[in-house]
Amino acid sequence: MKNFHEEKFTSIETVQLEFKQAGYICSRQIATTVYLAYHLCKPILVEGPAGVGKTELAKTAALFLGVPLIRLQCYEGLDESKALYEWKYGKQLLYTQLLRDKLDQIIKGENGLDRSIQRLHQYDDIFFSMDFLEPRPLLKAIQEKRGAVLLVDEVDKSDDEFEAFLLEVLSDFQVSIPEVGTIAAVSKPFVFLTSNNTRELSEALKRRCLHLYIPFPDQKLEREIVRIKVPGISERLEAQLVAFIHEVRKLDIKKVPSISESIDWARVLMILHVDKLDVDLIHDTLNTFVKFEEDVKLIKEQLRGLAEKAMNVA
Amino acid sequence: MDRTLESFILALRGSGVRVSVAESIDAMHVTDLIGYGDRGTLKSALSAALAKTLAEKEVFHLTFDRFFSADVPFDHAYDIEEGMGTECDEEIPLIAQMILSGNMAGLAVAMSQAALSVDVTGIQFFTQKGLFIRRLMQQMGLDELNDYIRSLRAEGDDDSARSAGLLEQGREDLTDRARNFVERQYDLYAGSTTEGMMESYLRNARLTNIEQHHYQQIRVIIRKMVKNLRDLHTRRKKGAKRGQLDFKKTMRSNIAYQGLPFDTRWKMKKIDRPKIMVLCDVSRSVSTIVRFFLLILYSLNELIEKIDTFIFCSNLVEVSSIFEKYDLEEALVRLQTGADLDIWMGRTDYGQSLRDFWEGWSGSLTNKTTIIILGDARSNFGEPEVGILKRMQERSKRLIWLNPETPSLWGSGDSEMKRYLPFCHIARECNTLNHLEKVMHALL
Repeated sequence: MKNFHEEKFTSIETVQLEFKQAGYICSRQIATTVYLAYHLCKPILVEGPAGVGKTELAKTAALFLGVPLIRLQCYEGLDESKALYEWKYGKQLLYTQLLRDKLDQIIKGENGLDRSIQRLHQYDDIFFSMDFLEPRPLLKAIQEKRGAVLLVDEVDKSDDEFEAFLLEVLSDFQVSIPEVGTIAAVSKPFVFLTSNNTRELSEALKRRCLHLYIPFPDQKLEREIVRIKVPGISERLEAQLVAFIHEVRKLDIKKVPSISESIDWARVLMILHVDKLDVDLIHDTLNTFVKFEEDVKLIKEQLRGLAEKAMNVA
Repeated sequence: MDRTLESFILALRGSGVRVSVAESIDAMHVTDLIGYGDRGTLKSALSAALAKTLAEKEVFHLTFDRFFSADVPFDHAYDIEEGMGTECDEEIPLIAQMILSGNMAGLAVAMSQAALSVDVTGIQFFTQKGLFIRRLMQQMGLDELNDYIRSLRAEGDDDSARSAGLLEQGREDLTDRARNFVERQYDLYAGSTTEGMMESYLRNARLTNIEQHHYQQIRVIIRKMVKNLRDLHTRRKKGAKRGQLDFKKTMRSNIAYQGLPFDTRWKMKKIDRPKIMVLCDVSRSVSTIVRFFLLILYSLNELIEKIDTFIFCSNLVEVSSIFEKYDLEEALVRLQTGADLDIWMGRTDYGQSLRDFWEGWSGSLTNKTTIIILGDARSNFGEPEVGILKRMQERSKRLIWLNPETPSLWGSGDSEMKRYLPFCHIARECNTLNHLEKVMHALL
């Protein structure tokens, strides 16, 4: 990565500005971390509540750099064959069937099993070459000539074993395939790891990464985000909406609405051609940003008070 | 690495953030890249490189602010009259010159130089404060100053006496500043060692003797302990999961491949997660231990399939629902006060409590159940109902009795421990955090 895109990482301010143009408002903290990650060639471990734009950050980085985004979604039971590479067994089988006659010809002149096998040995690498290799996300990211953004999503959902394996790949950016040899990255990919903290990640992994915690944004930042994501929203609606969401976040509910929910709600309101909030409207559209029955009930009980607070802001 | 960064990392470690060597090297690259110019940027950059969890980030912010806060300036100058202290006499020590001429900047520089050569960052215990203040002052030339003041006093004229007075005042002031300085350094660097000492003390202290204001620290220790236990036992569970080749199943699933074993099947060992029933005495004598015991037990809920909790004093009630309704800490408070519970906090009656348990819940005892009884077995000379305990032992996998009293007291006075003892698989003394940890190992 370091060889390319040097011109895009001249200062923290440029990063911040460019990201904004790509549609991602980032705080100075985020911009600084991205800037550092590029210059130190380190992965970024992004943590924070669900829906604050962890995955979005990686997507925007790919857009910003003009390189492909390669995504590896982690889950329990994810292993090397899903993450790194696999042989195309079907293709291998098919080819051996199709080439049966050719194989017969090759062996024809030889008599004895020994000699036939020796003759075959000269060709066996054909079926274990790059043509029969199915690259999975990690290998794909390493193979990209001009670098890539590798997003390892929800790394906390994977098993400990996979995490250890990931360490190996992330420290050297090279992969050994016994039949082919070692493939090293031409240009190291820009790596983002995201975590929702369902379990504690190992010290070793954390040590290799820069750590970024994205909290819920303050009202000012969130308004900016809503404005850029939902163009055409009236200023009053935007202020009321963000203020209301912030009030809801203070409540003790099961799933706190995050930025993505605020954006969803704003879009819904835009479709309804609304330019200001009122109690009935909130009541009817509540389910776009509150996802649990208990939460809906709780908010409905206090709706009037919450709405009033939010309206007073704007 | 430059010294400022080095000291900062030292300070971070002192306040409990774990910083590895690799991370300090990262931090060095970061400062090379960013520089010390912009405080906000430096802070967020270093926090990305050094603090790797949310909790660590909070500590980081505090330490950063404390560390990079400007030194308290030498603000007020002494009242110095014209003509005094202007002469630069060879015989007057440098420090006295600076005090007399009101050279505050000079004094500040002298102090930070002295701090470097004394190496105040090495401070570990609060008892060392005096020592370090003394060393700091000596490095700055306290002895010469004292000698000089003495010689001024000896001269006996008005002028000298006045200078001597000024110098004495300056010395006091300087000592104050040195004390301030050392205290700040102590706060920054000595956190971890004192914490370590405190932790080992708290782990071994009797829980009944620990004072209320240490509870917060104990909770931190318990959290650490639970994490260790969890790490250890999940790993063991993983190992136990792998089994031998299941021949029958392999044959059956490979009939399709003409009996060639393509798809191997393995015998899986069942994970044996304990089901636990806890009977806790909540009379005054054991309440603190019960509290911490339950705290650990419920923090381990990942590893334990089911916990049923009962508390008893004069009678016995089930309280598992309280733990579902409230969060752990609030539930514990509720248990201790007995609020909204059908419990009678009179004289402790073990016999009645065992009878209550047998009548109500003996049906749910299986050969997988582990029963833990926490109590001092002091039943106020009531009928102990040893027979019921015997039947409980027969029905369950294990019966563990944890007694906060030392074994030498078992059976003395109204303690029925000796009579219960034959029917416990394990009976242990349990009154410190270390004991609790051992019990947990035995459980999992």
